[in-house]
Amino acid sequence: MSEPELLLDSNIRTWVVLPIVFITFVFGIIRHYLSLLMASENSITLDSLRDGQALMRSRYLRENGKYIPRQAFLARKEFLLRKEGVITQGKEKVAPPRNPMTDPSMMTDMLKGNLLNVLPMIIIGGWIQWAFSGFVTTKVPFPLTIRFKPMLQRGIELEALDVSWVSSASWYFLNVFGLRSMYSLILGENNAADQTKMMQDQMSGAAMAMQNDPQKAFKAEWEALQITKHQDSMKYIEDIVVAMHALPEDKFTTEKIPSIQASP
Amino acid sequence: MEMSYDEAIKQLREWRNASMRKSTEIVEIGEYLLKKSSMSLFNDEVWLIFEQVYVAALDISRFDLADFCMKKLKGNFPDSVRIIKLEAMQLEACGEYDEALKIYNELIERDPTNAGVRKRKVALLKSKGDNTGAIKELCSYLHDFMVDHEAWYELSELYIKEMDYAKAAFCFEELILCNTFNHLYHQRYAEIRYTMGGQENIEIARKHFSQAVKLSSNTNMRALNGLLYTSYTMTSAKSSSKSGNSRSHATWAAKMILKKYEDADVKCMTVRRKETPEFLASATLMLKHLGTESNP
Repeated sequence: MSEPELLLDSNIRTWVVLPIVFITFVFGIIRHYLSLLMASENSITLDSLRDGQALMRSRYLRENGKYIPRQAFLARKEFLLRKEGVITQGKEKVAPPRNPMTDPSMMTDMLKGNLLNVLPMIIIGGWIQWAFSGFVTTKVPFPLTIRFKPMLQRGIELEALDVSWVSSASWYFLNVFGLRSMYSLILGENNAADQTKMMQDQMSGAAMAMQNDPQKAFKAEWEALQITKHQDSMKYIEDIVVAMHALPEDKFTTEKIPSIQASP
Repeated sequence: MEMSYDEAIKQLREWRNASMRKSTEIVEIGEYLLKKSSMSLFNDEVWLIFEQVYVAALDISRFDLADFCMKKLKGNFPDSVRIIKLEAMQLEACGEYDEALKIYNELIERDPTNAGVRKRKVALLKSKGDNTGAIKELCSYLHDFMVDHEAWYELSELYIKEMDYAKAAFCFEELILCNTFNHLYHQRYAEIRYTMGGQENIEIARKHFSQAVKLSSNTNMRALNGLLYTSYTMTSAKSSSKSGNSRSHATWAAKMILKKYEDADVKCMTVRRKETPEFLASATLMLKHLGTESNP
């Protein structure tokens, strides 16, 4: 059953739809520049750098150790795993627990992140809902189920209204996600107005976990390297090469083989 | 200058990303761009271009252009470690190594995690001719930055200059660990081992030469030659199984080399006839020798 289409006042378009787009866009840009101003200097210490590099080196040794001579591999393994070796040192090092509450730098980072991203969204969302409520703003081009009704039609209390007609608040949220590609066009990649990346970061706490506990990483690396044995991958390499690129004269013979020659 | 602005900028960017040292061309294009165009055209990239042209100007002793670039850079970034490093490079270019060394030491003390400055110090010591000092500095750098393969390569070059082949081989092992599938690393490592000499080293060299041949799909001529020489040397090995194997490998390698030169000769007629016969002569000689040995 196709309902008669609602005809919206063109004033809605001029004074609601476009201003909301404009507001979202401008606030996104403001957010980007503010974050640039408030960016904290994450200076990396020599120790953490050395630790990271040592872990990488140990990983390379584990994975590619079979391509270097046995002596070389054993020498390196010994160097990394002995008492004064880098990996054992890293394992022994007791890292201070990075409790978010007590660690001041992490606290400020969190505060800044929250302040810059979540707070404006809440404030502006709330203001729009208060200012532009009570009327239908736009229609989404696809049909939705009844469950979305309270979410998308906040200020409008009409039961029979098609769920595709949405209020201004939902138009605002649509904009927040939709203008992401516009931001990358204007501000270049990696801009701070891109909120979805921030949300992705929150979900992948793996990166945070790595920084918080290098000791665990060292322990894992120590154990893995301990059990790695050297396999001689190049034992028969010359034969392999000769076989792979054999010359025709070695493969085929022009002699007549009497047993195969068919008897007439 | 026939290039348009866009083309020129694109070319400079390509060279910058590939770290190519085309100093004369960079200075030519850069001078044209920087003195004659308005800067608003390329917004932030202009500072990178300034830096690139500055270094190129120092390379060909165009100190006037270098001063011009430095003035602009300093004007915009008054308090920057990168700018100080560039200024010290100018001192290096003028030959005032001690002054530059003092500045680098200061910068390193200020921020020991700045890899660029530390590498710059190594380059200074190298251009002074102080190989041992450069090696020491590079070792302490590698102590902190263990996975910098360019640094390991540079260290191996320095060791080769000092003829300390064992340590050069160590550096190349590090390189092989980082990039296992680079046939050039295997080939050079094998060459170092071959130079060191001795039964074991030649065996290791042979293995790595064959690995290089395998990885390069039989196109690495140096590795092929290396395989030939190492196998040939090992035909006179004490154990008969090894020498038997080596004979077949050496024969194969010699035949392959001759075949490849035949193919190449057909393709490019400009091959310098004087040199190749000598080169081939060793392969043909070895082949003959191997042939007569196997048929007594």
